[in-house]
Amino acid sequence: MKLRDFILRRMILAIPVIFGVLVITWFLAFQVGDPAAMYINENTPQSAIESIRKAHGLDEPPHIQFILYLTNLFQGNWGESTSTSFRPVLEVIALKFPATIELAMLAMFFAIILGIPLGIISATKKDTVVDHFTRVFSLAGVSMPIFWFALMLKYVFYYQLAIMGLPHLPGSFRYDDLMFPDFKYTTGFLLFDSIVFEHNPRLFLDALAHLAMPAFCLGYLTLAIITRMMRSSMLEVMREDYITLARSKGLSERVVIYKHALRNALIPTVTVIGLAFGGLMTGAVLTETIFSWPGLGTWAARAILNSDLAAINGFTLLVALIFVTSNLIVDLVYGTLDPRIRYG
Amino acid sequence: MADTKDLVLEVHGLKTNFYTYEGVVKALDGVELFLRRGDTMGLVGETGCGKSVTARSILRLVEPPGRVEEGEILFREIDPKTGEVNAVDILQLDEDEMLHIRGGKIAIVFQDPSTFPNPVFRIGDQIAEVILLHQDMKHDVLEMKINKLERILNMNPPPVNVSEIVAHLEQLRSMRGNPPEPDEKAKKKAAKWRAIEMLKLVRMPSPESVVNQYPHELSGGMRQRALIAMALACNPSILICDEATTALDVTVQAQVLNLLNQLKKEIGTSIIIITHDMGVVAETCNWVAVMYAGTTVETCATDELFANPLHPYTEGLLHAVPKLHEERERLPQIPGSVPNLIHPPSGCRFHPRCDFATEICKTEKPKLEEVQPDHWVACHHPRI
Ligand SMILES: Nc1ncnc2c1ncn2[C@@H]1O[C@H](COP(=O)(O)OP(=O)(O)OP(=O)(O)O)[C@@H](O)[C@H]1O
Ligand code: SF4
Ligand SMILES: [Mg+2]
Repeated sequence: MKLRDFILRRMILAIPVIFGVLVITWFLAFQVGDPAAMYINENTPQSAIESIRKAHGLDEPPHIQFILYLTNLFQGNWGESTSTSFRPVLEVIALKFPATIELAMLAMFFAIILGIPLGIISATKKDTVVDHFTRVFSLAGVSMPIFWFALMLKYVFYYQLAIMGLPHLPGSFRYDDLMFPDFKYTTGFLLFDSIVFEHNPRLFLDALAHLAMPAFCLGYLTLAIITRMMRSSMLEVMREDYITLARSKGLSERVVIYKHALRNALIPTVTVIGLAFGGLMTGAVLTETIFSWPGLGTWAARAILNSDLAAINGFTLLVALIFVTSNLIVDLVYGTLDPRIRYG
Repeated sequence: MADTKDLVLEVHGLKTNFYTYEGVVKALDGVELFLRRGDTMGLVGETGCGKSVTARSILRLVEPPGRVEEGEILFREIDPKTGEVNAVDILQLDEDEMLHIRGGKIAIVFQDPSTFPNPVFRIGDQIAEVILLHQDMKHDVLEMKINKLERILNMNPPPVNVSEIVAHLEQLRSMRGNPPEPDEKAKKKAAKWRAIEMLKLVRMPSPESVVNQYPHELSGGMRQRALIAMALACNPSILICDEATTALDVTVQAQVLNLLNQLKKEIGTSIIIITHDMGVVAETCNWVAVMYAGTTVETCATDELFANPLHPYTEGLLHAVPKLHEERERLPQIPGSVPNLIHPPSGCRFHPRCDFATEICKTEKPKLEEVQPDHWVACHHPRI
């Protein structure tokens, strides 16, 4: 019951946050462009423009328009994405969401799987070659611009390998549609669909190959952040008195590190992981664009270029919702790791 | 000195240094200790004189930048089967053998109950962990089963199948001489059961619920009891209490000290109590070692020390203890301050503060010698 109350309260507290995001993005968008511009061309008569404005409520004063926007949001009408053949924003999101989530999950998966052990090894082998290498590797991760890194990856593993006639990684899209012309998405999660609905391991492997570069590129920053956080919190925890106590019990160094220290060191790392997940959504805009990934990021980038205001607002709102949700999940995980945290 | 077979622990010429940026801190320089089986020894001295470093050196728990440089730490164990006494030098053991000694043979209770338990594990699991590590659980699993059946028999109303249970109980009891190898799950359960028994032993209030609680849910005194339970869980031959009671308020402190003395009788552990409180020593210890700036300056029976201190430093230390019948404006102090251990004084480390110092004290370090029967002093001019 306590847990349910906690989740409920957190959801209520999220309302002002989401409202703030809505206010800021909508009014910024309002300043930037005129939504009516997308519906007209140089041949549209003046009277038609007026009626288009009226039809979309664009002749009202700003605050009325904003309230109209909110009412529509609640009714599930997030507007039309003018740069995607005027399809409803929610429909486009539903269509493209799986591609982005699959990419983000894989990026996150490999960032966690690599980052936590790297951080531990780096801390326990402090000031050795392994540690120096890991530190350079993670420093590069946090300081390299993602778009530059994406281009470099593509240049080496796609372009250079390809012109040398070597096997190379695919540089764009989710799968090879010449090899699998009959494939149709069921859930939109390609790795899942290929195994569960298509029973096609070759398609699965092809999808993995397509995911490799974009996922690594997107996850590298997160990997670097996790490694650095894990290293520093591990170093800190190893100096704690309870580690001395664990040693004084006669526990082997392995148990001291992987049981007594790790559990404590994971607590701050989990926070960082949660925050980074929201960051992956924004990183996806750059990564997806460079790897022509048919997901939300590419769509958002095109929307920005085309002043597709409804799409931009929709994307921003979605990212805000993902941030709020991942923070809530972090707090729940936190509670299972640290008994001192009480939901109340 | 008495027969060495009676000594469960002997420390000779122990030196420990810390390699810091400011220089080499010569924290221990020739510590000598003798602990008789069944004794409670007080290890006293001013703050910073190296009491904790001594305790950690004995368990080889000195962490970098510190290092035990030289010395001998003889640990004598009685073989339970043959009654023979085997001596090992702890400093010569390899790390695997050391894991066996830590927690199993020599256990330690640390200074601060608020930072030493691991905050993310239940008290019971932290106690069970050390039990599972050092004890083969055969007997415990069997005892746990017997205990459970006995409880069922004593239930009110009595169970229906009494005769069956009694038969089963008899069968289990007959296995006591040679208990069967239990499975992992039974071991874990038995360890938890033992943890509750340990908590009962240290007079923890409501032990059944405390095993499932986390350290932050307990008071300081309860936490300290839990740490003592953890240390005693494997019936160690030696228990070192490093200021185990300093962080507690006076009443709890008295309770814990009483408890230690009772436990000593129940389990037969030899105890080292580290403290800078001479009152605690007078009440609980029958033997004392006085340390000054990393060396043992005097060691003898407690009564003897209070009646007849031979080292100038001990004399000053005892004068610093207020006596009830004396009325004094201020407590007397030993003039001067604790020496810098990076550049310690030459010869006797106490000479800059000593009223009896002569030339030889500045150049030659005095050895710990048996000046009177069973009374050891390291001083060129003992106060006989
Ligand atoms: N990690 C360390 N680095 C450098 N010097 C240290 C370290 N630990 C201890 N020392 C030095 O060793 C000396 C002895 O310290 P120790 O903790 O044993 O004192 P103590 O007698 O236990 O004092 P207290 O009564 O305050 O607990 C001190 O002078 C201290 O400067
Ligand atoms: S050896 Fe000399 S300086 Fe040291 S305590 Fe004895 S008399 Fe004092
Ligand atoms: Mg100390």
